[in-house]
Amino acid sequence: MELKDEIRISAPKRVVYDALQDPKILKQCIPGCEELIKKSDNELEAKVVLKVGPVKAKFSGDVTLDTTGAPDSFSLTGQGNGGAAGHAKGGADVTLTEDGDETILTYNAKAEIGGKLAQLGSRLIQGTAQKLAGKFFKSFGEAVEEEKVS
Amino acid sequence: MKDDAGVTREQRVEALGGMGCKRKRVEDARFTQGKGNYVDDIKMPGMLFGDFVRSPYAHARIKSIDTSAALALDGVVAVLTADDLRPLGLHWMPTLAGDKQMVLADGKVLFQGQEVAYVVAKDRYIAADAVELIDVDYEELPVIVDPFESMKSDTVLREDLVAEDGSLPDGAHGPRKHHNHIFTWEVGEKEATSQVIDSAQVVAEETMYYHRTHPCPLETCGCVASMDKVNGKLTLYGTFQAPHAIRTVVSLISGIEEHNIRVISPDIGGGFGNKVGAYPGYVCSVVASIVTGVPVKWVEDRMENLMTTAFARDYWMKGKISATPEGKITGLWCEVTADHGGFDACADPTKFPAGFMNICTGSYDIPTAYLAVDGVYTNKAPGGVSYRCSFRVTEAVYFIERMIEVLAIEMNMDAAELRRINFIKKEQFPYQSALGWEYDSGDYHTAWDKALKAVDYEGLRTEQAQRVEDFKTGKTRKLMGVGLSFFTEIVGAGPVKNCDILGLGMFDSCEIRIHPTGSAIARLGTISQGQGHATTFAQILASEIGLPADSITIEEGDTDTAPYGLGTYGSRSTPVAGAATAMAGRKIRAKAQMIAAYLLEVHDDDVEFDVDRFVVKGAPEKFKTMKEIAFAAYNQAIPGIEPGLEAVSYYDPPNMTYPFGAYICVMDIDVDTGEVDIRRFYALDDCGTRINPMIIEGQVHGGLTEALAVALGQEIAYDDMGNVKTGTLMDFFLPTAWEVPNYETDHTVTPSPHHPIGAKGVGESPHVGGVPCFSNAVNDAFRAFGLRHTHMPHDHWRIWKTANKLGLHG
Repeated sequence: MELKDEIRISAPKRVVYDALQDPKILKQCIPGCEELIKKSDNELEAKVVLKVGPVKAKFSGDVTLDTTGAPDSFSLTGQGNGGAAGHAKGGADVTLTEDGDETILTYNAKAEIGGKLAQLGSRLIQGTAQKLAGKFFKSFGEAVEEEKVS
Repeated sequence: MKDDAGVTREQRVEALGGMGCKRKRVEDARFTQGKGNYVDDIKMPGMLFGDFVRSPYAHARIKSIDTSAALALDGVVAVLTADDLRPLGLHWMPTLAGDKQMVLADGKVLFQGQEVAYVVAKDRYIAADAVELIDVDYEELPVIVDPFESMKSDTVLREDLVAEDGSLPDGAHGPRKHHNHIFTWEVGEKEATSQVIDSAQVVAEETMYYHRTHPCPLETCGCVASMDKVNGKLTLYGTFQAPHAIRTVVSLISGIEEHNIRVISPDIGGGFGNKVGAYPGYVCSVVASIVTGVPVKWVEDRMENLMTTAFARDYWMKGKISATPEGKITGLWCEVTADHGGFDACADPTKFPAGFMNICTGSYDIPTAYLAVDGVYTNKAPGGVSYRCSFRVTEAVYFIERMIEVLAIEMNMDAAELRRINFIKKEQFPYQSALGWEYDSGDYHTAWDKALKAVDYEGLRTEQAQRVEDFKTGKTRKLMGVGLSFFTEIVGAGPVKNCDILGLGMFDSCEIRIHPTGSAIARLGTISQGQGHATTFAQILASEIGLPADSITIEEGDTDTAPYGLGTYGSRSTPVAGAATAMAGRKIRAKAQMIAAYLLEVHDDDVEFDVDRFVVKGAPEKFKTMKEIAFAAYNQAIPGIEPGLEAVSYYDPPNMTYPFGAYICVMDIDVDTGEVDIRRFYALDDCGTRINPMIIEGQVHGGLTEALAVALGQEIAYDDMGNVKTGTLMDFFLPTAWEVPNYETDHTVTPSPHHPIGAKGVGESPHVGGVPCFSNAVNDAFRAFGLRHTHMPHDHWRIWKTANKLGLHG
């Protein structure tokens, strides 16, 4: 499964870049995120409650960040396990482009889903994932803009 | 008898409700009123419920299983893992195919949905909650979902089948070529066939995939195990198509003596092969009941049923067929790569690891043939059952009926004519096929001509040619397909000399008790799952013993009362148990004859049977009805004859039976949407002697509907990670009245010469013949545009892609 989109955030690139690694902002923006702990500079541990159609489960997983492309690009890989509900692994490449006072964020994500999620999924999962990603970046954009104002 | 005055012989025949009449199904009174009694209807005091933790991974090592949170949940009684079953030797169990299968994951899992742990709780909901609390730590392993890749892969799926020194011990069916290889089965003459094909003037080749699908009965698999610790008896209720075989298997693997096990198959909501095998759910429920001392129920949900219990098909078939320039077939070559999943749990007679795939020469007189089947392990669910067909017969018939079409294309011939040229002729029966079968009887030309005439075949081809013209000139966007199929089934397994499952001979049985007032009960070794046995077997008996069908109770499925038999699948009930019923009836009649002779004060040879009575030869006014004879049998002291009127027959058939039929499907295909409109479906079946035409019609309708499902969309599809993509009825196609066309049924009657009443069985014919018929129609629609073959299932999307590839979208 692949997800792609771009959004426009009213904040400079550097601010956006830092926010992408701020556990507080991420936790606030990831739909269903209950816990997000920064274990090291490039490792995070997360607990997320996810609902896809009839399947609802708590996923726990690790995320590894790759910041070597800072401040223009950023990538992450991760895997999560939802027990009986299934499991997921994947990654995303995020590119930031300055456009005046604003930043254009482009993401390109790939995910492999297994278990019950995948079985019920072929029809639901793409739509749900698209929706969740959209929701995340929308909240993220708002949070960054708020942060900037405050 | 006075009250018989004025009653004609025809009226007496009619009053019996015997063979040949459209007797209404006696089962329907309870089914249509919701009074059936299925496994899930069984409720026992203190009963517990089982549920499985199943693997979300298709291939993974299990590092640990933490059951503590589940055990702490209020209402959870026990959690079983392989470690709990190991001391009992029950963490693995034998399969019907000579392999073994994990009951609960022993260190690793081999397919998605595999049973990992079994929770026992006070109710079904608590069990389901507890399943979610069990934490299993998996380490992912490389997943193989393609059998060809499997045969090349370094990844070992079954470490238990590789010796410590790395060598490969023989499997149940001989040497293995690779660590993921199960068996090679060869039939026929390899060299001779190869020579014939290499030197032939015409050769057609094709590779076809008969996709993996699932029988998907309305009622899923389930059981209730009840161990009575006081008297040591285990009662096992379950959705078993072969209750007696299940009793024997349970005894062999549990060590409980067979007389202490009672297996009961109550009403069953469809089987279609899905309920033949023994599943981990049964073993775990039995163990749980033994451990807890109370009854334990386990019933699959729909996803579990589709994902784990017994799939069907999954055959890659590569064929070559050769012919003379006139179209006479000279040779047939078939190589199969069979995907059996993680364990080889096919339900086939022991000596036939690919079932009766060697019926793949079909209805044609093919002098030379060769078949090789390779069974392969992959990370898919085990199974390989005969979904509404005799063992692998649907694959065989699909193969030959597609090969005939491909040959017709190669030769630019009409496919109906090509069939006619090659049919086995009436006078050639009994016919010895190149791959080892003796076809009992047939009259293919008569059936074919009748079918072609019924649909005005010439007219259809003319119309089709016009349609192609209209399409080319832009007048229509719909193409017309004419699907033909002529199938020969091989059913009624089978002769004990070559048919057994796990060493159990495939005879069947019937035991009859006539009651003093002239009614009766007959018990059989089979079990109805919707076939209407209580209706049809009573009809056989009514004709054989002269008591009305309405006065005869048919009982099946309780191993404590019914005689031993191998159950109902592979269209074997009528050919085998139906024969036993007739033979037992004849034993009753033989004794009745002696009683009648005594009562009429004549010699045994001086009376003869007539419908419902014995009459004195030449003096029909002197007779004793069977009702009178029954009373006398119990209540009159007759010198030299012991009281009572009972009989039992164990019938070992001398041969299989070979029903056949001619099907024609006419469909219109919308090239732009891929939608299919079945305009007409004509089905001519010859199942030998017809016991109940109404039941036959019902069977044909059901079988054709399942054929439509398989041909047009029903599949168990996996993604590369081994996820089952069609695990619910949202994605798994189950046709409803909306998708089903009107079927026209017809028949010819060619009795089986070796069956006591000449019947051959019909339940599976429509499926076996129907699948290639629907598929041939789709392929035929595109023949004029250069299509040779496209794989099933022909869903709208795939048909659209076919049209697109042929450049029909402009």
